[in-house]
Amino acid sequence: MKRSASFCVRSLSLALILSLSGADRPAAPAEEANSPSVAEQSVRFGAVDVFVDPQGQPLAAYQIEIDAEPLGVELVGIQGGDAAAFRDPPYYDPRALMGGRIVIAAFNLGKDLPSQKTRVATLMVRIPADARPKYLARLQVAASSDARLIHANVSVVEQGAVP
Amino acid sequence: MTGKMIRTVLVCLAGSVSCIAIAILVAGCATNGIAARSPGKEYGRQLVYSTSPTTGVPGSMGNQPVGGPAKDVSTPSLESIVPPESLPRRSDELWVIEKPSARRTQTRQPQDEIPGSGTLLARQAGDKLVPVPLKHTDVKAHVEGYIASVDVTQQYQNPYNEKIEAVYVFPLPDNAAVNDFVMTIGERHIRGIIRERKEAEEIYRQARSQGYVASLLTQERPNIFTQSVANIEPGKRIDIDIRYYNTLEYVDGWYEFVFPMVVGPRFNPPGSTQGVGAVARNARGHSGQSTEVQYLRPEERNGHDISLAVDLDAGVKIEGLDSRNHKISVKQETVGRAQISLDPSDNIPNRDFVLRYKVAGSDAKSGLIVHRDRSGNGYFSLMLFPPEDLTRLPRKPLEMVFTLDVSGSQSGKPLEQEKAATRYCLTHMGPDDTFQVIRFGNAAQRLFPTPMPADNSRVQQALQWINGFDAREGTMLVDGVRASLLYPPDPNRLRFVAFLTDGFIGNESEALAEIHKDLGPARIFSFGVGSSTNRYLLDHMAKMGNGAAAYLGLNDDANEIMAAYFSRISHPALTDIHVDFGATAVDQVFPQRIGDLFVGRPVLLTGKFSGPLPKEIRVSGSVGGETREFTLPAIDDGERSDHPALAALWARQKLADLGDRATYEGGHDLPLEIRQIALEYGLLCDATAFVAVDSLTKTSGNHGTSVAVPVPVPNGLRYDTNVQQ
Repeated sequence: MKRSASFCVRSLSLALILSLSGADRPAAPAEEANSPSVAEQSVRFGAVDVFVDPQGQPLAAYQIEIDAEPLGVELVGIQGGDAAAFRDPPYYDPRALMGGRIVIAAFNLGKDLPSQKTRVATLMVRIPADARPKYLARLQVAASSDARLIHANVSVVEQGAVP
Repeated sequence: MTGKMIRTVLVCLAGSVSCIAIAILVAGCATNGIAARSPGKEYGRQLVYSTSPTTGVPGSMGNQPVGGPAKDVSTPSLESIVPPESLPRRSDELWVIEKPSARRTQTRQPQDEIPGSGTLLARQAGDKLVPVPLKHTDVKAHVEGYIASVDVTQQYQNPYNEKIEAVYVFPLPDNAAVNDFVMTIGERHIRGIIRERKEAEEIYRQARSQGYVASLLTQERPNIFTQSVANIEPGKRIDIDIRYYNTLEYVDGWYEFVFPMVVGPRFNPPGSTQGVGAVARNARGHSGQSTEVQYLRPEERNGHDISLAVDLDAGVKIEGLDSRNHKISVKQETVGRAQISLDPSDNIPNRDFVLRYKVAGSDAKSGLIVHRDRSGNGYFSLMLFPPEDLTRLPRKPLEMVFTLDVSGSQSGKPLEQEKAATRYCLTHMGPDDTFQVIRFGNAAQRLFPTPMPADNSRVQQALQWINGFDAREGTMLVDGVRASLLYPPDPNRLRFVAFLTDGFIGNESEALAEIHKDLGPARIFSFGVGSSTNRYLLDHMAKMGNGAAAYLGLNDDANEIMAAYFSRISHPALTDIHVDFGATAVDQVFPQRIGDLFVGRPVLLTGKFSGPLPKEIRVSGSVGGETREFTLPAIDDGERSDHPALAALWARQKLADLGDRATYEGGHDLPLEIRQIALEYGLLCDATAFVAVDSLTKTSGNHGTSVAVPVPVPNGLRYDTNVQQ
């Protein structure tokens, strides 16, 4: 009985503390279950870094297509790269996306252009939970700020992926 | 280098699949960095170019799998990916370099406003400050002629000691073509992806439940949107940037830029569940509606404020500038260019921001603007003004109907404005006109069994009747529409129906469907009465009714607004309009049914074309049974064919047209077509959504409590009669 009373006091105290915490807590409306459902766990989210190596030439513009095998990898966001010139997120082609393809592009005509291998974008992707996709990047075009086409290598690496 | 000529070089590569084009600027001097022009946006460096020229009664307050789009196997051009507005213009103009803006490039300061520290909750005298996760909204607009490019940044910040999801229901103009979405976390910008709505919602739910920072933007009505931001940790800030284009209205000599700031409380008829509910703060789910807005009590403030700036480039001399509802400051740079900003003392977002500008009288005339993308597709926008000689012709007798909203949301000043406007109308009718007055609240009621001659005794009878109106009922607008349209037409008089209402209903599609069904030969003129009306409904009623919409703010002179209405209808309209583009292949012109041209009210058409444009465009129509014809020059040179917003605006118009057809005519293929167009052009609509997930930021624990952003009721509206408590 004594133990039970103590428990009640502690519970009451806790409830009071919680109720007094006021503005530091959001009003708690009835919310859907907070624990993820099976469907919500059937996928995972990953990040895929996209690199361009312009081999010593200043990179002003690029357009790259990224494929994933098997299918089912979906683009859910795009972040920019490391170099200041490509820090803003690149654009993507919505028409290509309708066909399941990821095509990104960006350009910058400033003078502070990268000429060595640099991460130009990070793709945020949704992946089936049990899939271990392989990514393939294909450079469609790269150019310098004086409108010359340049040779460049592209590569993609999934963050945290086991080699 | 403040003034280097820059030439555009188009590099075309014959790829194995198709031609790839990259537009690259070659700068004559590289002492300063240059980048493409991106109006209003500040992602990186920016190139600035020189210019040429509800109620308390009955009722509650308040994708399927696609067959799969054909796989696009062509290789898109860079230009097809990078929004054209981000590419340099092709004109040979002086380009001026602007230093990188601080907003994008600055490192976010450590959170200096910790929940509970008081900085977020600065108290004002007598008000109770409510912590909300939306701290500030910043709006930057660039207006060029009658096309606006608008960037809206919403700054979310968690003022609590636990993780939350923020949910904010907010308005945008109903003709906004929303085509870009970026989530910013610290220094990282993540571009959101357009997806089918159901798919985007699923992605968002999955990311939220797994603890990732994610955001979702959906459209609930053409002018109501929901922004959700998941897994905002205590004290953390996340910015959401939304970009849209829209066209300005031209009303009686003034172009109007409107930015709505708050969703007004809607009335939902009994039994409806797909409306827009209006509930008290923390009363989530009480309305039973699919979309719900929480409102602050009159003594509450949420600390959310707004800043707004407009870069106005009229192209011709600006004769006047006027803000209807807010204090502004104006910096006139040249005769045709001005910078307008919202006064910081007027930063509570509780009414529409309405900026009007007037150009020299003869400068407002019909005109065509054109855009060609590099694949050869052409888009145009044609603003058709009525021929000047219409003003010299008298109108024929009319059957004038005045339909007044007496619902609770009109209580107080709005109802007084309605009455004043109606009084003006009743005392300015022609001797051969007939008239009717209708009030609608819980039901509709007519003054006379049938329209009566506008003689003195009947006008006095009507004036007495409206003087006795009070506003405390529901908003059964559908009944008001029926009462206004469903009776035999007078063969000798065209029926003009003037609706005076704030349009605060959640069943807009029912009201519009009723108009679509019952309109007959009548014309509808809608008058939005209040500080923050449902412009989507009011504009659509007028469009569907072949009339025009006008707005009567709480501080406007009702006589002035109605005098303009009478001036407009005192002359015949140009009807049955046909536009002939000659040999040019023009298709998909929207709106498909061209409205009548009334004095002072142009009609805006948008369409696609291919091939060269004709030298002139022939417009024909009927005035009182007689055919009229006039021509417009269609100049199409490199300079003028560079208006990249036109593609998005065309697609938005097409979506609106398809949406109307899907609602009023049915058609199983229409939803699929709507989705395809929206995805292809990267546009938000009710079938698509923007989603952004930060896979690099996984928070711990469950996704926390969902917190709605409560908003103030629109200025002039009573909380107690409009919000379900």
